[in-house]
Amino acid sequence: MNGLVFNIQKFSIHDGPGIRTTVFMKGCPLACKWCSNPESINPLPEIITYDIRCIGCARCRDACPQNAISISDQGRNIDWEKCNQCLACAQACPAKAIEVTGQYMMVDEVMKKICDDIPFYKNSGGGATISGGEALLQKAFVKEIFHRCRENDINTVLDTTGLAPWEHIEDVIQYVDLVLLDIKHMDAATHKAATGVGNALILENAEKIAAEKRTWFRFPLIPGINDSKKNIEAFSAFAAKCDVEKVSLLAYHEWGAAKYEKLGRTYALEGVEAPSEKCVEAVGEMIKSFGLTVDIGQ
Amino acid sequence: MTTAEDLKKKVVSRAVRNVKRGSAEEDSSRGMFRPEIRLDLQRSRFFTESYRETEGQAMVLRRAKALANLLAKMDIFIRDHERIVGYQTSDINGIFHPIDQNWKSPKRLVNSKAGSSLLDEAGKKELDELCDYWEGKSISDRHQAAIPESLKKYWAYEGTFLWTQLSELGIPDYERLFETGLKGRIQQAKDKLVEIDETIPVDYLEQKEFLEAVIISLEAVINFAKRYSAMADTIAGKEKDPKRRAELEEISRICARVPENPPRSFLEAIQFFYFIHLVRYLEYSTLGIGIRLDKIFISFYEKDLAEGRLDRGEALEIMQLLWIKFNELGLVYSPTVSSVYGGVASLQAVTIGGTDKNGNDVTNELTYLALEAAESLHLIEPSIALRIHRGTPDELYSRALDVIKTGVGYPSLFNDESLLPLIEKWGVPPGDAKDYAVTGCVYIEIPGKNAMRRPVGYFVLAKCLWWALHQGVNPKTGEQHGARTADPATFTSWEDLLEAYAEQVAFFTNKMEQLERINLELIEKYCPRPFYSAVVEGCIESGKEARKWVYPSMIHHFAVVIGGVNVADSITAVKKVVFEDKLVSLPELIEIMDKNWEGREDIRQTCINAPKYGNDDDYADSIARIVQRRGEEAMESIKDRYGFSNRGDGSAVSATYGLAYDTPATPDGRMDGDFFSDSTLAPSPGQDKNGPTAVLNSCAKIKSIETYNHLLNQKFPPRFLEEDTKPAFMAYLKTWKELDIPHIQLNIVDKETLVSAQENPENYSDLIVRVAGFSAYFVDLSKGLQDHIIARTEQSLA
Repeated sequence: MNGLVFNIQKFSIHDGPGIRTTVFMKGCPLACKWCSNPESINPLPEIITYDIRCIGCARCRDACPQNAISISDQGRNIDWEKCNQCLACAQACPAKAIEVTGQYMMVDEVMKKICDDIPFYKNSGGGATISGGEALLQKAFVKEIFHRCRENDINTVLDTTGLAPWEHIEDVIQYVDLVLLDIKHMDAATHKAATGVGNALILENAEKIAAEKRTWFRFPLIPGINDSKKNIEAFSAFAAKCDVEKVSLLAYHEWGAAKYEKLGRTYALEGVEAPSEKCVEAVGEMIKSFGLTVDIGQ
Repeated sequence: MTTAEDLKKKVVSRAVRNVKRGSAEEDSSRGMFRPEIRLDLQRSRFFTESYRETEGQAMVLRRAKALANLLAKMDIFIRDHERIVGYQTSDINGIFHPIDQNWKSPKRLVNSKAGSSLLDEAGKKELDELCDYWEGKSISDRHQAAIPESLKKYWAYEGTFLWTQLSELGIPDYERLFETGLKGRIQQAKDKLVEIDETIPVDYLEQKEFLEAVIISLEAVINFAKRYSAMADTIAGKEKDPKRRAELEEISRICARVPENPPRSFLEAIQFFYFIHLVRYLEYSTLGIGIRLDKIFISFYEKDLAEGRLDRGEALEIMQLLWIKFNELGLVYSPTVSSVYGGVASLQAVTIGGTDKNGNDVTNELTYLALEAAESLHLIEPSIALRIHRGTPDELYSRALDVIKTGVGYPSLFNDESLLPLIEKWGVPPGDAKDYAVTGCVYIEIPGKNAMRRPVGYFVLAKCLWWALHQGVNPKTGEQHGARTADPATFTSWEDLLEAYAEQVAFFTNKMEQLERINLELIEKYCPRPFYSAVVEGCIESGKEARKWVYPSMIHHFAVVIGGVNVADSITAVKKVVFEDKLVSLPELIEIMDKNWEGREDIRQTCINAPKYGNDDDYADSIARIVQRRGEEAMESIKDRYGFSNRGDGSAVSATYGLAYDTPATPDGRMDGDFFSDSTLAPSPGQDKNGPTAVLNSCAKIKSIETYNHLLNQKFPPRFLEEDTKPAFMAYLKTWKELDIPHIQLNIVDKETLVSAQENPENYSDLIVRVAGFSAYFVDLSKGLQDHIIARTEQSLA
């Protein structure tokens, strides 16, 4: 069995307890405007470009069957309209100036990478986290990895948007020690506008997950989108009702913006500034006032 | 009590600035030292004066008398803040050069841009006169005269190894010296003289002269201390402040007592130690400290505490004063050596933690006090080597991390689990091995044993690979300089290249060893060390000076190896690009490299993007293991003067930058003259892409027992050690220990700070960075060396 993975991040210390290895699955039913990993959305391998590495050798141009690539004094240019993601250019590039993001990996390959760091998990109380995109889109693969982790005595964390049929969730979380669940907005219409989908199923699943498993909610704080007092209070009340162990407040940052260009896309939140430390702290206090434990991350 | 901040102001930094990079000049207009530093001629003057008077006598006696003349006549002084006394020069800005070893370097230096501020005109005149005496007599002159013509081209540094007539290491037997005082050693020498008068051994005269020299040296040290005693007494008589007067009276009492007699208190023991340490430097060009500080002083500390003479606060103050003293030592090196020693003062490290001979943890209050002193003062020296073993308490890890977090670069951690089997493999008995200490960088020694030697040279493994790709022939001159290894056109696999490389390593190790063999014979004849012999075990007992025999182990003789990781990555690239993917033939690749990749950036990129060591990728790591092992085997195949194997050592100092200048492009994609991986275990800069756990997993595949004592640098941004992430970092270090990796040291600084310091040095005079086995003020490093440090991969948080 294989799955489409776009990154395996070692030494993750913000995706659950201890030192962890986070496996990022490619493909997501949401398309959040602020997404800092835009390569996670498309459920197929695609090219990602690094202009700074380009040596101008033109091998990509010669390899492109669509004639979508031109080379000039300004460097390599891709006509994204013409590109059909055949990936030939990435294979031809000697300098990794065009790479493929998204690799089909076998369960064994992923497990090997996870198991490499077992001594670090043991000393830190860490383990493996599967994130996305939306990991549950590839539920059989993900379930198998969690199952194998359990067999190897490795702590398991699922990081999910919560948008999946309950049966899928139920089937996977039987092998999961902790669920990290993103709640982006409490209002259905705004949620749909910002992410492309409504929030009804997400909230319904959130309650069920929290009732069954150790759960941390993650609240991405996005200026102008979900940072109104009303929304934060609604979120906090919901989190308190679900009785989650912790809320991770993730302040918006623009670090993902550059990636959009590398993928031939445009960034919807251009010009939005990260909230100040003071502002984030104030939001944290607001959430805490609902009797919740809060940590602030990125 | 003087505050740490006030004490820090007393320090005059003697850090060397690298004014050369390999064979090239670098930033020499900045000067090799800070502008206030002066070359102090007292040692040269009084050594020379004595030498003139003792012509014709046995050399061991001449050396003892020269030392005695210096200790009797050199100007001494006591600074207002001091409770521990003793200086190596006549004023606080002084630094000396061992003229008896080499006079050309200081003479050249003071007449160059880099050293013009070191000496005034009168000083230069005196130096010229002194140099006239040493012409033909210094060890360096004798060495150059002695080496055969065929070996001369290897003596001259050309990029493969830098053999140096440089400082020695060595750790006196302080624990036994504290039991008897120097008077006990003198008595022992006298008893031995009586004994040989009766037995008349075959080397009777030699033994007699040696033992007499021992007595002269030790008595000179006792009298040196008594000069300080008298001076303290005189100053005390004029001192108005009763507190300071009491301190001066205390100095006077202590210096009258030690090192002649056994110390009775903590402060006496420290002063005893410091006199020995200082005279060790004065007798012969020396580096390092190496004492196991917590182990050797704890009984004095505890006794003082129990008897109410001392409290913890005062002990910390004494420790801080000792730290200041360590910063008063330093030497003038030759400009070429400065390319290896960029930022170094005296490469001094103290060792804490670890176990005693029975394997019991030695952690005690002084372990923590040493860390506290270091944390409060934030100085480049001494570095602290913390020995980690199974029984190291969590609290010690935690305190060590607090100090590391300040960015000072130490303690650096040494893993007993990995090192003890290696030290035993070197032939050190298990009990002695458990007492190992680190003198400076990652130099490993056994305290009190006649195992002192020095890095014989800096050995560029990557250049050996380059020779292997050129059959030992310099393509520019056509000269056969290395071994005539097989033609790369005939290679059918990467293993063929490996064997040619190993042959070159053995070839150049042999050349270096031949130079060293002649040197050892010369220094035995012309530079015996009667004082040092008297403070280590076995010399007085056997009537043999320290150079005439050696502690029976290959621990003592080593070369600092650099560029080994680049060799591994290069051979991996050849395997992948040439023999597997067949994108280019080996002769074609060599031709492209020899043009420094010009016009073939595509091939260079392909080589760069071949698998690299440091990513927990078995493809690259398994080759790295074989390459490192094979290189060490080749080195060990060459025996030293005493019949023991040569070996490698990971103390790269700044050579991974400095000496890389003279290695042309290598198959790992490295450009001509680019720096190497910054330590023997560290991945090439920017090539480790899977984070810090993958780096450790890769390091764990290189076995110490198959190689040597390595060095590993890792760089993390400070936010990594905040309260919320500290537990994860502790877990990281514990895993480091469990993975049997011999060493790790940590630079806790972010790239932005370094870049800003490079642009605005005036705002960052206190910024310390870890270079290799030592810490340095960032502003003292040349721009290139600063870039080398900035380029190291900064491990990040995910």
